[in-house]
Amino acid sequence: MTGVTKDFLQGDNVIRALKETNFTAYEGELVGIAGPSGSGKSTFLTILGGLQKPTTGRVLLNGKPFSELDIKEKSKIRLENIGFILQASNLIPFLTIKEQMLLHNKITKSKVNQPWMDELFLKLDVEKLKDKYPNKLSGGEKQRAAIAKALYHQPSVIFADEPTASLDTNRAYEVVKLLAKETKEQKKATIMVTHDERMLEFCDKVYVIVDGVLNEKLVDNLVVKS
Amino acid sequence: MFLAFKELKHSKTKFALIIAVVVLISYLVYFLTSLANGLASSYTNAVEQWNSDQIVLTVDANDNMMMSYMKQGDFDGVDTGGSKTKLGIFPAVINNPLAENILDSRVDVYFFGIDNNGFIKPSELKDLTLTGNQVIVDEELKKEGYEVGDFFGVTGSTLQYEIIGFSSKTTYQTAPVVFMSLDTWQTYRYGSTNTPDLFSGIVVKGEIENLPGNLISYSTEDYIATLPGYTAQVLTFSVMIVFLIIITAFVLGIFIYVLTIQKTSMFGVMKAQGISNGYIGASVIVQTFLLVAFGIFIGLVLTALTGAFLVDVIPFAINIMFYSVITVAFFLFALFGGLFSVSAVLKIDPLKAIGG
Ligand SMILES: Nc1ncnc2c1ncn2[C@@H]1O[C@H](COP(=O)(O)OP(=O)(O)O)[C@@H](O)[C@H]1O
Ligand SMILES: [Mg+2]
Repeated sequence: MTGVTKDFLQGDNVIRALKETNFTAYEGELVGIAGPSGSGKSTFLTILGGLQKPTTGRVLLNGKPFSELDIKEKSKIRLENIGFILQASNLIPFLTIKEQMLLHNKITKSKVNQPWMDELFLKLDVEKLKDKYPNKLSGGEKQRAAIAKALYHQPSVIFADEPTASLDTNRAYEVVKLLAKETKEQKKATIMVTHDERMLEFCDKVYVIVDGVLNEKLVDNLVVKS
Repeated sequence: MFLAFKELKHSKTKFALIIAVVVLISYLVYFLTSLANGLASSYTNAVEQWNSDQIVLTVDANDNMMMSYMKQGDFDGVDTGGSKTKLGIFPAVINNPLAENILDSRVDVYFFGIDNNGFIKPSELKDLTLTGNQVIVDEELKKEGYEVGDFFGVTGSTLQYEIIGFSSKTTYQTAPVVFMSLDTWQTYRYGSTNTPDLFSGIVVKGEIENLPGNLISYSTEDYIATLPGYTAQVLTFSVMIVFLIIITAFVLGIFIYVLTIQKTSMFGVMKAQGISNGYIGASVIVQTFLLVAFGIFIGLVLTALTGAFLVDVIPFAINIMFYSVITVAFFLFALFGGLFSVSAVLKIDPLKAIGG
């Protein structure tokens, strides 16, 4: 994104939730976005994902203009190129884990990619859960299923907003590690918002937002890791 | 519609309850329609059997055939390119002289005095000649135990009549009709001494070219509308049925709307994933459609069953045309209700749903 800002009207005041921001993510990169609550993390992510329009500036996706498109076109691009992993899990309550994947095929009228689905199930260890409904799964299982769902349609970009919020530390590590691994293997650009500093150690790059200002943060352990 | 079906399957109880409501209302509506239709037919069956175009009464009668008195000269004065026939009409109470308790055997009927060659004679019994006190009666009287060859008496008279045949679908103002020759009718109506040659009206097939000034003609439909209580009854039933259909639409619309609102965040998540408004809206509509279809189907089956059991007890007539119109109305109104929910879906902001 280039020159992106976002203003909100609160009462009579205009609040600039996101100061002028330039940001690029590359394939194979897991990018961590940290920052205190209310700093603009979600605003940043949702503008990237086309869920709201920037006040100024533009967002490009795979080098093509994205933020200017109309709702319908954006919707289509999200369906094909973007995977969302949300804090509150993006699973549909009345579909089994397997059906969550099939839904994408139904909507896009595409063929079921059975080998890839099986592979994802194995990798994310949800094989045994595939015929269960989300309310029968634990928090960690749900989050792993959500990741499987976000990866199934092979998007080029994955947005994760607090994917570990509902998990205990071990589960959280597990989930983020998986995300990092898939990002590498599948050459995705993954952008993960988290308030949990411990999760940042698996990221290739870390940015911190404070009061709407985005800055890259160079952390020692990142250097060590790479 | 993958999504619609899966949800129906998953939330069976919830949807079963909604279907139950649709079943009950559609059952009520279809049942009421059949009753209304049955009742209306029993008012008019006999008249409809005539297949006539016009009915002529005296102006003085003020729409009431019972108060219309005509002479041969009036009949001759009506010019038509088609055919015309005389009709004498008068209510009577008959009883079964062989019954243990004669009072219990009383039945309200209408005596129709007709011409043996007239076109208003029940067509399936054209070969039977009505003479003396021999009569053809509506088959409703079979339920009272009468058979061909039986006699019945008439309240207020010592006369007895012999049943020589049964006609079907010949009730007038819900009472069975008794067909007799015009002479016999006049004797019943005016007594056997100095019987005047009077009758009540003229039934005409075809156009009337000339009408004496003391007579007035009605189209058959208009005549039916003048039958006491007929119009009011048809109107009452129609209004009830229309309201019930609208209420169903509302109830269904509200149910679907509440379900939709409950799923706001889920729909928001789906939208964030790029699932289009069209797809989500269509699955809401498909669900509405399926709920109505199931409900109506069960309602129809129940109506048919009830009708089969009660057909001897109550006037119950199934009219495919009415049923089709009502069914289409159900669907239209229910889909209209569903559209409210679709508009709610359109307004859902995916941003809210993902808690940005
Ligand atoms: N729709 C909105 N209307 C008004 N203000 C908003 C809206 N969304 C976010 N904000 C404001 O923008 C700032 C950043 O919010 P957000 O991006 O949700 O922060 P974070 O996700 O880092 O907690 C906050 O001050 C918040 O009050
Ligand atoms: Mg947030």
